[in-house]
This record gives sequence, structure tokens and C-alpha cells, in this order.
Amino acid sequence: MAGRQGAQRPNGATQGKICQFKLVLLGESAVGKSSLVLRFVKGQFHEYQESTIGAAFLTQTVCLDDTTVKFEIWDTAGQERYHSLAPMYYRGAQAAIVVFDITNQDTFARAKGWVKELQRQASPNIVIALAGNKADLAQKRMVEYEEAQAYAEENSLLFIETSAKTAMNVNEIFLAIAKKLPKNEGGGPTQSRQSGVKLNNEQTQQSEGGCCK
Amino acid sequence: MSRESTPSNLLRSSVDGYGFNKGENFDHESYDEFMSRYISVLARRASRWQALIGHKTRVSKSRKVKRYCRKGIPSEYRAMIWMSITGAEARIRANPNTYRNILLSQRDEHLSEPITMDLHRTFPDNIYFTGTEGFRKPLNNVLVALAHKNIERGYCQGMNFVAGMLLIVLKDEEKAFWLMDTLINGILPDFYAPDMRSVKAEQELLGEIIRWKAPELHAHLESIGVQWFLIGTKWFLCLFADVMPVETVLRIWDCLFYEGPKILLRVAATLILQNSSKLQACKNFSQAMDAFKEVTTSASCIDCHEFMKKCFDELGPFPSAKISKMREECLKKIY
Repeated sequence: MAGRQGAQRPNGATQGKICQFKLVLLGESAVGKSSLVLRFVKGQFHEYQESTIGAAFLTQTVCLDDTTVKFEIWDTAGQERYHSLAPMYYRGAQAAIVVFDITNQDTFARAKGWVKELQRQASPNIVIALAGNKADLAQKRMVEYEEAQAYAEENSLLFIETSAKTAMNVNEIFLAIAKKLPKNEGGGPTQSRQSGVKLNNEQTQQSEGGCCK
Repeated sequence: MSRESTPSNLLRSSVDGYGFNKGENFDHESYDEFMSRYISVLARRASRWQALIGHKTRVSKSRKVKRYCRKGIPSEYRAMIWMSITGAEARIRANPNTYRNILLSQRDEHLSEPITMDLHRTFPDNIYFTGTEGFRKPLNNVLVALAHKNIERGYCQGMNFVAGMLLIVLKDEEKAFWLMDTLINGILPDFYAPDMRSVKAEQELLGEIIRWKAPELHAHLESIGVQWFLIGTKWFLCLFADVMPVETVLRIWDCLFYEGPKILLRVAATLILQNSSKLQACKNFSQAMDAFKEVTTSASCIDCHEFMKKCFDELGPFPSAKISKMREECLKKIY
């Protein structure tokens, strides 16, 4: 049962382009990075999500018109001291989601720090999305929508408020990123082997999470 | 040898002996099959340990005790043996008021806040860590006390899982505090330092060990973009807690507390080498990452007795002097 390569597709039947992108999630501890990924990849939510140690790797596929976009997702740990590990994960990434918690101003300030760092040190064409998570807790809101949106506009970021708990805008943020990514040559400078490559059809794996369904 | 589904299967508890919910992916088949064999091992080990310890309340280190630790400490003796062989027990006796005094003294919010945030995110699937009763408050106390005693290190995520597991076994927060403090200051490399240099170096070291023991596999993994720091951060920071099956983690710790951190490398290398054909078959990076996720949870990890044997018997020479020298080299490469 080891090898599951080979999408067993009749010869010649094309299903459009398949693009693969590396995406990294960054943001303060406990803002909901892992929860967003868990919602996107498995459609689940845990009220108490374990703290992420180091980073977790997951994949998920979305379909856009005739293009299949496979995300290779690095969900990183949020604690300040893990900061020194972050460049190892965002190096070569074509996309990033910087997450903050709309009920906590400090996490928004930290998100701005991440955006600055990505603009300075990540790939120049990286697509950055800002996610104001925990939108279901709007009654405890400390970061105004307009404030975050203005900041996102100034910095040419995608901005969406999300709720991993209710699933609001979770798929949407990944789709919005997928739309913005260049699908021709697989995106920006490919610095490492695993990033931004257009795959041959036979290399794809079926993903259960529901592409094109 | 497939076991039929008998009525007794209906009695399977959804919670294991340490309070963990087994979850929907729990491999009951392998676990039951293993436990039915392991029970006799446990009984034999228990009688050997009993003969060794008698009514003593502490043990000294000796070749025999080391050998016994490798074969596993029965749960009824585990707390006492861990406290003895690490020297934590002696430190409690020498510092009877320290723990209480730290907790009574003024707290630094900067140190306590990240701990509070992780309390409900530590073993959320364990019955002892849900709700306000149980180990949540002791966990908070242990981590806060550790952060204040070791101010320059503070709190590092990952410590929560180690301390949580210690509480489950020791059932005493002061003991958990001292054992963990002894680990941090005496047994482990400086894994929890804010610069994370040691934990990065340890992963490089794991890579070098694989290069040494299985050069082809090493070359293959590097050729598909695997870098060692992607693999082992949680392995080393959590000392395999929340990574491998609980019983296996405890067996690893039986050896770690006696022999030191080399055992973590033995375990890590064994996990990789016993899956070398699977890893070698990975055609790309994401396949490899999926395969690495499975190496810590496969049926061969559930059988902790066989697994520990493998760690010692099948790795070939693993001399401490060489490992220490390699570790130093790896540390030099990390800035």
C-alpha cells in the first residue's frame, strides 16, 4: 500500500493545469492558525486546539476554473521564540497568511510585524493575505474592520475576516490566494525544489478534502 | 491472526490508563494484540524490580539499574525511580521550600501570560486536562515556577507537554517541577533556550547520523528537498510526548532519565531507519512529509518493548564520544 502515485487516468484525458504552491501561516500564538488550517484541510474545528510545536505540514487542493491548485501548507508555531525558525518555513513560499485575532490588538500589531518581515525577506512576489480570525467573537472586537482593511490596502494585502469556528470565509481566503497566484510558470522564483512547480498529471495525488466537488 | 470481534471488544474503554481519549484513529487491533503479550513482560519486570528494590524508597545508579531501565520500569515504581536516578529527589530534600517560595513570590506577567494561554491547549483530549479540576492548575504552577526559576529561558512551548506528562506519572506538582528542572539544567542539551540553537543543532545532528548510518536514504531525502529541521523540532522539544504512543514515550523516558539525551537520537534514528524503504520510495517532498508523520504512529511504535529493543540492538555502534563530537560540530554550524 506504499505507493499511491498515479492518478489512474486514461491516457490523454487532460484535466487542465496543476499547480503547486508553498503557503505559510504566521501570526501570534493562539490566534487560530492551526484551526484555520484544520478547517480548510479537514473541515473540522476543535474548541481547544493543541499548541503547535515547531510547525505542521499539510496539503490541500482547490480548483479554479481549469486549474488545480495544490497548497503545501506550513502551519508554524506562534510563540515569540519560534520566530527564529520562521524564515526556514517562509523561504521560497509563494503565499502567506498572516493571522491575527480580532479580539486582541496586540496580535494585530504582531501581524504587522510579520507583514513587514515578509516584505523585506520573503520572495519578492509572495502573495500575502491578512486574516482577522475569530470573527464569531465580534462582540469582543478590539480591531476594527476598517482599520485592518486600510492597513491591508496600504500594503497591497488581501484582507478577509475569518472564523475557523463557524467556517466563515476559510475556504474563501485560500481561494482568493489561489486566484492571485500566477499559474503560468508556477509562480515566483523557485528557490527550492518543493516550491512552485507545475506538476505532471501523473504526479498528483487524490485528495479527499474535495477539489472540484 | 486476526482477532474476531468478540463481545469483550465492546468493553474497550475509550480512555487509556493515562487519561488519554483514544480517538477515532486509534489502532485497537495492534494495541490489544500488543497488550496481551506485554502484560506478561510487565509482570516479569515487576517481580525483578521488586527483588531489586524491596522496601527501599530510593535507588542508586548501577549497571543493573541501567539495564533494568532499558527493559522498562513498572508503573508502580516509575515515579520513585525517575526521581532517584535523575537526582531530582535529592534536590527536593536539599531545597524543601524552594518550590513553594517561588510560587508565593511576585509573578512576572510576561512569563506567566504565554503559559496561561497554553493551559487549555495541552493534552485537550486527556480527561485530566479538561475542566478546571485535574492537572490544569498544577500544570500552570509547574510551568510558572520553572519559568521564574530559569528566568533566562522562561517558558518555551513544548515544555507544557513534557510537564503535563510528568504530572500524569508523578501525580505531584513539586516532584514534576524538580524533575523537569533537573532535565533542563542537567540532562538535556539547552533545548529550551530562547535562541533555539541547541534544538536546531540536534536536528542537524540527526541528519548527520542518518548520513552515517544510511547514506543512500540521506542522499535521497535531501534530493527531494527534505531538510532535517523540518522533521524533529517537536520530537526533541517534547521528548516524544504527544508524538509517539504514551507507553512508548514512558519507556523512552525510563532510559532518557538514566542515560541522557543520546537515547532521543537513538529513537529518532530508529524511527527513520525502520521506515527507510517507505521513505526511500517517496517521490517528492510532500510524500516524504506524509511518510514522516506516519513513522511515529505506526504499529511498530505501539509495541514499545520491541521498539526499545530495536533502538539499542539494531542501530549498530553509537559511541557517546563520537556523538558528542558530532553535536559540537553541528552546534558550530548554527549561528
